[in-house]
Amino acid sequence: MEKLTQLCADIAKLWAKYGGSYLTGMRNTLVLALVATAIGCVIGFVCGILNTIPCTDRDPLPKRILLRLIRIIVRVYVEVFRGTPMVLQAVFIYYGLPYFTDNAVKFTNIWVAAMLVVSINTGAYMAESVRGGIISIDPGQTEGAKAIGMTHVQTMLHVILPQALRNIMPQIGNNFIINVKDTSVMFIIGFPDFFAAHRAAVGASYLYFPSATVEMAGYLCMTLIASFLLRWVEKKMDGSSNYELVQEDQLTMTAGTYNHPDKGTPFDEHSREYQSERRRRGRKGVR
Amino acid sequence: MEDMILQVNHLSKSFGTHEVLRDIDFTVKKGDVTSIIGASGSGKSTLLRCINLLEIPTSGEILYHGKNVVAKGFNAPAYRSHVGMVFQSFNLFNNMTVLENCIVGQRKVLKRSREEARAHAMQYLEKVGMTPYINAKPRQISGGQKQRVAIARALAMDPEVLLFDEPTSALDPEMVGEVLSVMRSLAQEGMTMLVVTHEMAFARDVSNHVVYMNGGVICEEGSPEALFGDPQKQETRDFLSRFRNN
Repeated sequence: MEKLTQLCADIAKLWAKYGGSYLTGMRNTLVLALVATAIGCVIGFVCGILNTIPCTDRDPLPKRILLRLIRIIVRVYVEVFRGTPMVLQAVFIYYGLPYFTDNAVKFTNIWVAAMLVVSINTGAYMAESVRGGIISIDPGQTEGAKAIGMTHVQTMLHVILPQALRNIMPQIGNNFIINVKDTSVMFIIGFPDFFAAHRAAVGASYLYFPSATVEMAGYLCMTLIASFLLRWVEKKMDGSSNYELVQEDQLTMTAGTYNHPDKGTPFDEHSREYQSERRRRGRKGVR
Repeated sequence: MEDMILQVNHLSKSFGTHEVLRDIDFTVKKGDVTSIIGASGSGKSTLLRCINLLEIPTSGEILYHGKNVVAKGFNAPAYRSHVGMVFQSFNLFNNMTVLENCIVGQRKVLKRSREEARAHAMQYLEKVGMTPYINAKPRQISGGQKQRVAIARALAMDPEVLLFDEPTSALDPEMVGEVLSVMRSLAQEGMTMLVVTHEMAFARDVSNHVVYMNGGVICEEGSPEALFGDPQKQETRDFLSRFRNN
């Protein structure tokens, strides 16, 4: 109990002094994760789509060679960036570019560097997710689209990708949550994220454990809110599970329409609606 | 020969070493309702899929108004938009409503305006009796309803010929009737149809030409009266007798 009060006091002390920098760190982390996941998704979609262009031996030779080349490039990209730690990728790109170009090309903005690294990394994972999403769609959907004369691009755009996107939505969410946490390695190139705020705070105050507690709670909050929002988005994408029957003829009743028993139905000879309808018709002299 | 729509010459198709179709010859004239019958695995569906270029034939040619559609560089999507197809498994687009299913092809392939496409789609959805369900998603309607929407989707493209690949095989017995009656009325209106089916009554009563396939070849063909009434080959007699016994 004593320890807990001590912890609370320490956290309060930390928050009083570094609360602002924790909050900016959280904001930076979220912005980086969000933007990088979005760009990564775009990269992933481009790679996944390029990878699933159908290629038959009836196609002209240049097209076949080009497609083969594209597949090799995408494969190398995926394997390299999926197979190395992001921390190293950050160092490699951030320091590698100035090294090879004799400082002609270097990152003047730490945001650009961080976004580039995280996006490329996410893209490598997403490329495979998108490919999986595309091949998971029933081939019948493609055949149905082809049979009404759609080209490959039209089929992809209007039939396959919307369904694939829904199916890989959990994967996108996964990647976003992973990015929220894993952007913490960007401190290596000096990106001011949530974890960098922790390093700065403990460097000055030596309150390691209380600050780590703040970090734990902060990261958990961010990821919990993210997963809640993602579930909500998925629900929205699924749309309503009900649909409205459209009546053309106002006098036909659709199954399931229910009236109070006392009121009867229009089909009931004793119903008021039926009687008044008959009187109305009678007055007009129709039938 | 002007009313000749499709002409299949010496068509063969192999999957690896397995020869599914061997030297198939037949023609489809305007207004023809041709039924293709035969046991499972006799190559009926493959033949239909070859005609729509969903499978590429190994050899032979398919002439559409005299043009060979199997030739390299032939515009397959444009050809397919004139040749509608209805599948055994419906293949409605799951991400669209019933109405959107019938509109998307008209909008994207035929480049019709939204209003025109909608009006046209509604006309055919009414014909198949699906207008109350235009806002439903495919997963929310029954098999027979799905197949009727699939027929409306194919019709909305104003195809010259409609291919049916066992349209009632995936349906409950009570749903078969609603689909067959739609097909029957289409036939009466003069739609050119090519129907792979196990419904012998439909083949006999509705079509004007019946093709019996066995083992990848056309075993016997002729008018329904001739083929069902007086089959010439022993294989045909055996096949038909199995249906009569039921």
